[in-house]
Amino acid sequence: MMVLTARFRRGLAILATIVMSGAAQADDSPEGTWWLELTGDFAPFYGEMSLRQTDTGWQGHVEGGPIGVSVDGENVRFTIDTRDLQGFMFDRVLTGSFDGEKMSGTFEIEGSTYAEQPGGSWTAMRKPPDPPPQPPAPVDLSGIWKPAPGVDFRKYTMDLTPKAQAWFDGYLMHYDQPNIRCVSPGIVAMVAWGFYPMEILSAPDRLTFIYEVESEVRRVFLDDRQPPEFYPTSSMGWSNASWDGSTLVVETRLIEGNVRDFRGEPVSDGARMRERYSLSEDGQTLSAVITLLDPDNYNVPPVRRRQWQKSPDTVFYPYECDPDSFYRQMYNEDKLDMYFERSKRRQMN
Amino acid sequence: MIRLLTISAVGLAFALTQSSHAHHSFAAEFTADDPMTIEGVVTEIWFRNPHARYYIDVTTDGGVEHWDTRAGSPSLMTRRGWTKNSIKVGDHVTLFGHRASDSSRKLLSIIWVELDDGTRLE
Repeated sequence: MMVLTARFRRGLAILATIVMSGAAQADDSPEGTWWLELTGDFAPFYGEMSLRQTDTGWQGHVEGGPIGVSVDGENVRFTIDTRDLQGFMFDRVLTGSFDGEKMSGTFEIEGSTYAEQPGGSWTAMRKPPDPPPQPPAPVDLSGIWKPAPGVDFRKYTMDLTPKAQAWFDGYLMHYDQPNIRCVSPGIVAMVAWGFYPMEILSAPDRLTFIYEVESEVRRVFLDDRQPPEFYPTSSMGWSNASWDGSTLVVETRLIEGNVRDFRGEPVSDGARMRERYSLSEDGQTLSAVITLLDPDNYNVPPVRRRQWQKSPDTVFYPYECDPDSFYRQMYNEDKLDMYFERSKRRQMN
Repeated sequence: MIRLLTISAVGLAFALTQSSHAHHSFAAEFTADDPMTIEGVVTEIWFRNPHARYYIDVTTDGGVEHWDTRAGSPSLMTRRGWTKNSIKVGDHVTLFGHRASDSSRKLLSIIWVELDDGTRLE
């Protein structure tokens, strides 16, 4: 049996990456996987874009969601839908050119938004294959973290299965939204929310995430311990984590049925989620790539990205929640019967 | 008396409430177009997550209208100094905010509130 040293294995991996990346760059078609970045008078955001030419034309995805693609010689045009923080949908329309290993251009906003959304510039570079797993090199993620702006495309439309699309088509925003009646929105939605801080406590066998919003607590075990028999699905699920180099990889399962985002795409009862947390060199910025693994509902896994800034002076405020005013409004507007007739839709497990 | 104002330069006001509706869809019930102003008397206060609410009686030529006005999350409002004691039942207030998409509903998503002493909460 051949025994390879760690250094030799790492060298082989890097060589393979260079060769594969080079092969991709030799392609004279924009087909492939790209690292897309939008910049302008705002905190930049970025994500993965894949392009594929089919018998019926070009297809593309950004962060797991379908986009509009047009390729005419060197000229390209991409239409990427998103939502703003208030739930208004709009498109970012990217136009530019392709030169084999790079695409670039400008983008504009189309559609109505709550606040003015600026246009700007964009670039896309060929994305090399993911590097092979690295030996564990844990870093200290403990501390209080407050959300940083930007990063996430907030891509809205996802590649839903017919089952998920049928469920989604009947979703009523506001009335079907779990957290508006003080029910946890679940870890899939919460982990990508902005504005509220979180704290990470570190112990030898676990990390404990405390979220101000909804006063949720989540345990992430740093070993492979298993949940007890009959352990139920829940809003936070069951999380185990390991280190890929200095990146914490959290695998969460036993997630309770819920919605992915506040526009209502479903999350299956028992869905899984993968998060990759990495720390900046100065230890002040925490980044996460969050992937929902739910093939019953999504043909391509949805991806979100978040960043947080270390903020030791941030104080957690109490988050008590009371749904009284939600029901009060429906009572005043004579909508309680409608609401309760839809109860079955809100039981996603 | 109800005052309806159409504000064209609302960009700044929008920015002030960016966080207020960050965890559910504002678009489900309100429109970002044509924010409006109402003034009236506070009849009831609900200062609890997920959203604080102020119930306002607005006197119009046709009688008294009962408005349900919605602010942000108290967890976030309190950080900015807007507490459960900032507005009291019986206060006369002026509110600027977004109207419901269905204009027949007496709903307002608050951008700011001004008290009679000139204090503005946002």
